[in-house]
Amino acid sequence: MSNTIGKKEIIAMIVGAVEKINANHQMLSQLDSATGDGDHGTTMLRSMKAVSETIESSTDTAVKDMLYNIGWAIMSADGGSTGPLLGSFFMGMSESVSDTGMDCGAVAEMIAAGINKMHKQSRAQIGDKTMMDAMLPAMETLNNADKTGSISEALASAAKAAADGAEATTEMTAKFGRARNLGDRVLGHRDPGAVSISLIFKGFCEGLDS
Amino acid sequence: MAMKKFINDPLNLTSELLEGFQIAYGDKIAVQSEKLIVRVNPKDQNKVAIVTLGGAGHEPALSGFVGEGMLDVSVVGDIFAAPGPPKVLEALRMMNREAGILFVVLNHAGDVMSANMAMEMAEKEGIKLKMILTHEDIAGGPDAAEEDKRGLVGCVPLYKIAGAAAEAGKSLDEVYEIAERFNNNMATLAVAMNSATHPSTGDVLFELPDDEMEIGMGQHGEPGTGPTKILSADDTAKVMATSLLNAIKAEQGDKLLVLMNGAGATTLMELFIVLGGVKKVIDEKGMTIATSRVGEFLTVQEMAGFQMFIAKMDDELLELWKAPCDTPYMTVN
Repeated sequence: MSNTIGKKEIIAMIVGAVEKINANHQMLSQLDSATGDGDHGTTMLRSMKAVSETIESSTDTAVKDMLYNIGWAIMSADGGSTGPLLGSFFMGMSESVSDTGMDCGAVAEMIAAGINKMHKQSRAQIGDKTMMDAMLPAMETLNNADKTGSISEALASAAKAAADGAEATTEMTAKFGRARNLGDRVLGHRDPGAVSISLIFKGFCEGLDS
Repeated sequence: MAMKKFINDPLNLTSELLEGFQIAYGDKIAVQSEKLIVRVNPKDQNKVAIVTLGGAGHEPALSGFVGEGMLDVSVVGDIFAAPGPPKVLEALRMMNREAGILFVVLNHAGDVMSANMAMEMAEKEGIKLKMILTHEDIAGGPDAAEEDKRGLVGCVPLYKIAGAAAEAGKSLDEVYEIAERFNNNMATLAVAMNSATHPSTGDVLFELPDDEMEIGMGQHGEPGTGPTKILSADDTAKVMATSLLNAIKAEQGDKLLVLMNGAGATTLMELFIVLGGVKKVIDEKGMTIATSRVGEFLTVQEMAGFQMFIAKMDDELLELWKAPCDTPYMTVN
């Protein structure tokens, strides 16, 4: 595989993420029943529908605008905190993307731009039992990858880091959102937002390889 | 446990409830662009507009207070979920005017996130607005983290007071100053007796044993000061009113606004009985209930319990509270 990607591959990555979330939405709602109000899966499903519709209408759109429109569509899906957070991730990526010729370093920068934008909406850090527990390890893994190396391998490592991060939330109490109100009662359950992020990275990876 | 609710599609609750809301109150409000509740007779362009946002499932709040003398637009989210920033921005654009917009936001994570993002975008477009964040829940005590000082029923009297100031033709700075003064002198404490179910998922929001209640329980089942055995109306009133009066630093001679807000399953009978207990506490301290209302303003499905709200009033705030308004769920002639 070539060591650079462009719009076609980015679409493949995002479609992979959509498929991964769609296949797991019931599990996400079940996780949320333990730590929130049980609707994270349906919220994500609604958001992913907005993503798919935006991709379908983006045939002649520059990838930068497509990512921005995806972010806006997710925010329009009325998902409580999920909308602004996940929407910011895509809007942030739109600020650091090219239609062609992105090497592994550029992909890492794109993901980092998304996470930084998201971080402006949430002060959450590692250990707070939020999406950041999966996001930040994935970003760090990508930042440490060989800038001209295999994008597929770097994304696979990032997906692994995100999954490990999501798994680690099992042992955490929450500092933000409704789960915060449940105190110790959320111990033993993974954070649904972190699991969603790990699924998105896994989907990016599978989408690119498909 | 099966959910006992009169619904059709659990994923279509918000649009169906808004449809009925419009059938019932189409003489006062209209639903625009699916999720924006606006006045049928818009306010003059030269007066400050009042805009708010919040999830559905708390009827009649928030949209039941759209109308003359209160809100101009309420942006509705899904059940217990904030509307997204694009919808909020649409409302702010719709109300854009030289007089400006007072943007009232309840302190809940999703609402604040959507509001901040929409406000940032609106300001970039040159829309003139000021934000008021209601955060009058005292369940966590004075040292509670900002996230735990939630916006409860206090938004409703604040809409009334800010709305009256706006109708009177005051400037955005003046409306903001009045609303913020009220905001800084109000407090709410909630108590729960029985849980409610999330109408989309059927999940129970929290669990309480038959013989217990919990003071401080929030409007999505956020825990309070821990469960206690059920107290009498007078004892409940005493515990809660004393905390509220301390929180707003009320003193002898102060004139107070007291609201008793039913959570959904508690009877008006009980709310009136508790209000009697509140008056005893207030009388003993040499303060007066200048004005009071009992009813369901902001509910939590079929949760049993109520929110007790007390604010310290001055003459100007009282005058604005008593000014005319005409909305589906609050009318003053």
